[in-house]
Amino acid sequence: MSLHYGTPQIVIGGVFVVLSVLLASAFVVIGLQAGTDVSVERVHRVGYWLRKRWLALLAAIGVVVVGLSLLDLPYASGGASGRTMVTVTAGQFFWTFAPDRVPVGTRVRFDLTSVDVNHGFVLYSPRGHLLGSVQAMPGYHNQLDLTMSQVGIYRIRCGEYCGLNHSTMDGSFTVTRR
Amino acid sequence: MEAATATPAPPGILHPQAVAFVGEARQIERRAGFMFGVTGITLVAAMGVLGLLMRFTQADDTGLSPAWFYRLMTLHGVGMITGVLLVMMGALWYVLHPVVPLRPGRMYASYTLVVGGAVAVLVATLVGGFGAGWTFLPPLPFFPVGQWPVWSESLFLVGNLLVGTGFFVYCLDVLEQTTTASGGLSRALGWQYLFGREPEAPAPQVIAATVVAIDGLLSMTAGSAIVLGLLGRTYDSGVGIDALVAKNLVYFFGHSIANLVIYLAAGAIYVMLPRYAGRPYEATKVFVAGWTASLVFIATAFSHHLYMDFVQPMWAQVGSLVASYFALLPVAVITIYSMTMLVWGSRYRWTLASTLFYVGLAGWAIGGVGAVIDSLIPINFRFHNTVWVVAHFHTYLMMTVVLWALAFVAHLLERETDRTSSPTLRSATIGLLLVGGYGLTGTWFVAGALGVPRRYAVQPAGTVDYSKVGAIFALLFALGFLACIVQLAPLARTAWARRHTTSTGESPGLAAGHAVAPAGADPRVDERPPGRAGAPLGTAAHLGFAVAFMVVAIVAFFPGIVDASETSTRYHHLDHAGQFLFGVVVGLLLGSFAAVSRLLGDHPAWGLTAVIVAPATMMLLMVPRVYEPLESNDVQHALFHLAMAAFGLVTGLGATRLTPLGGRFTAFLAVAMTLMFAAAMTGGAS
Repeated sequence: MSLHYGTPQIVIGGVFVVLSVLLASAFVVIGLQAGTDVSVERVHRVGYWLRKRWLALLAAIGVVVVGLSLLDLPYASGGASGRTMVTVTAGQFFWTFAPDRVPVGTRVRFDLTSVDVNHGFVLYSPRGHLLGSVQAMPGYHNQLDLTMSQVGIYRIRCGEYCGLNHSTMDGSFTVTRR
Repeated sequence: MEAATATPAPPGILHPQAVAFVGEARQIERRAGFMFGVTGITLVAAMGVLGLLMRFTQADDTGLSPAWFYRLMTLHGVGMITGVLLVMMGALWYVLHPVVPLRPGRMYASYTLVVGGAVAVLVATLVGGFGAGWTFLPPLPFFPVGQWPVWSESLFLVGNLLVGTGFFVYCLDVLEQTTTASGGLSRALGWQYLFGREPEAPAPQVIAATVVAIDGLLSMTAGSAIVLGLLGRTYDSGVGIDALVAKNLVYFFGHSIANLVIYLAAGAIYVMLPRYAGRPYEATKVFVAGWTASLVFIATAFSHHLYMDFVQPMWAQVGSLVASYFALLPVAVITIYSMTMLVWGSRYRWTLASTLFYVGLAGWAIGGVGAVIDSLIPINFRFHNTVWVVAHFHTYLMMTVVLWALAFVAHLLERETDRTSSPTLRSATIGLLLVGGYGLTGTWFVAGALGVPRRYAVQPAGTVDYSKVGAIFALLFALGFLACIVQLAPLARTAWARRHTTSTGESPGLAAGHAVAPAGADPRVDERPPGRAGAPLGTAAHLGFAVAFMVVAIVAFFPGIVDASETSTRYHHLDHAGQFLFGVVVGLLLGSFAAVSRLLGDHPAWGLTAVIVAPATMMLLMVPRVYEPLESNDVQHALFHLAMAAFGLVTGLGATRLTPLGGRFTAFLAVAMTLMFAAAMTGGAS
């Protein structure tokens, strides 16, 4: 399976590039201005005025993005009613699924654990988009709710370093037509 | 801010106006700077070569086996963090010692412990084949699939313990001395100034160092608890591990030490960058408030490593989300923004050191953006453990901390020789570092957005080209690093030739007026252990609390409680923690009596040894193999529990040999360590 950029990743990557370019430009400008002679009083007057706004801007952005994040948490909540429970067991270096296939449109609750060390369940759609990840931890059960909307084979890679064959620890989960 | 000195340093390589606030560095400061700086840079260079090798391996260009890839990955992680930690410990010591009488003995001890730890990790990985990653996420060390023997995992853990202990010793000395010199914790943190009770704040590096010391002590305690628990597991397979608690402790230790490196650096930058801008950096109320916020954020942000462990309590997830974002504010507003204010229109003196200081600020800003994006839980869901994470932490570790590490050594050499490299050579070097560094991290950002997981010896099909391009950029960065060393070599030769002709200099006092080291002081004065001003339990309130704790803790000896606790390993360890607490409080009480204190003498080094060794020994004995055979014999069983209290007693008495605040804090940390141990370690029959 080849990997492809998902829409959320493209948007987030784009935001990062824009912010990085803005920051880098600011450092270039400040670096060029460093050779000039500006009085400390003026730097303090303008600089502190701007710093207050900079602080307010970052705080406001923080309130917004943290608030939005809280509305979109990936953690499973509530009962499993209406969901098909899929038990996922990880071990060095395998994945097992019970059941290992569901019809398209099924609302699934993945219940993950590990029989040995920590593993990472990284789920890719049949089109090669990374959908999300959750850890498989020995002694614990992490639960992820997902609606399987595409027909085909979903691939799983290990996302937590687990030993020698970590990079080849693959699995698959099939979504069939109804 | 460094105060004016009687015999100012010649401006030379520095900004002409820096003469007003820069004094000559004393022999001991320069020695510490070079010792930590050169050792750290050497380690960084060696680990950089390993990193290069790993990137070429991911590009399918070396033929290195996955087994060796993971050994090198493990060593690269621990070694690189240790290398930059060493440089920044030296850098902060270099700028803090002029205003706070840090003890050279503690400095040498921490250096020896950290370097000893690095050597142990080197042997464990390269000879022993240990390859569980620098995070050694439990229980992975005990599932080697035939790759490493028990001795190598033990040695690796001992190495981590030594590095952590070395940093603990360093942080404790910093905390004891900043608080003693400033007149208390609230003064050292600048709170008296913040709330208008004092007219001036302490020097910025004092506030930064105090915050780093507190968070360093907390996180090293967590690290010791889990590493000691895992060490017990290496010689007793009956020891069980709670994977979730263990992961929290590992990241409290690992994330924090990696994170604190940059905060150590910030404390040093507040002093060194102004020397090229000709404007002193002064602590303001915003600065004090920001560092107080950082004190909390640094200690709580680590939990974002557990976002995808859905069983982590929701309050921890939300708390970490808030801390991870808002940790940005003090960094972006106080450190980075304020540093650019110093530079703006200052007729900045561009040297190799000052250029590296400046471009390092950009790395923190850009890497910080990548980190903050990933710290938002819905985004982390799609980026967790992809190479995006590798990208953002390399941006601020490689493009900030490593550049600042080079800058610090360059600064020392420039000051020794009053020379720097040619502008042409410097520009080419900086160009290589910037293109190579951002090119390398850029390939990781792009591959991370694609969904390539991290720590893959073999890259997913169709993604090898990212590694090939990344490897070329890594090579460019390595050339830039090498070019820096080549430029510094002639300066080092000159400095070496002049090493006996330098003066001992000034020791400006704290800005708040709590001067502690007299001007022109002989450096040998610092060899004296400072006297302890008072006992840890010196007031009626202290005594009241101590008695209350003792009354509660004595319950841990009641036969009914002991029997009940043995139904569960956790409760059993909790009972041991109660007995230890009882001993600690008794020790603190006894050692606070003047007669006992006189009898024990003024031996802070012995006190420090006791508060580190006694609880550690106790936890190494808390394994089923040791205590289960004793449970069938009532006398032996009772003696074992009394031994727990005896370890506490030694710890408590040792704590009374430290400063009052240092003693109380280390006693608290020792008890906290036993509680964390109880939470993380399970298994055994009881």
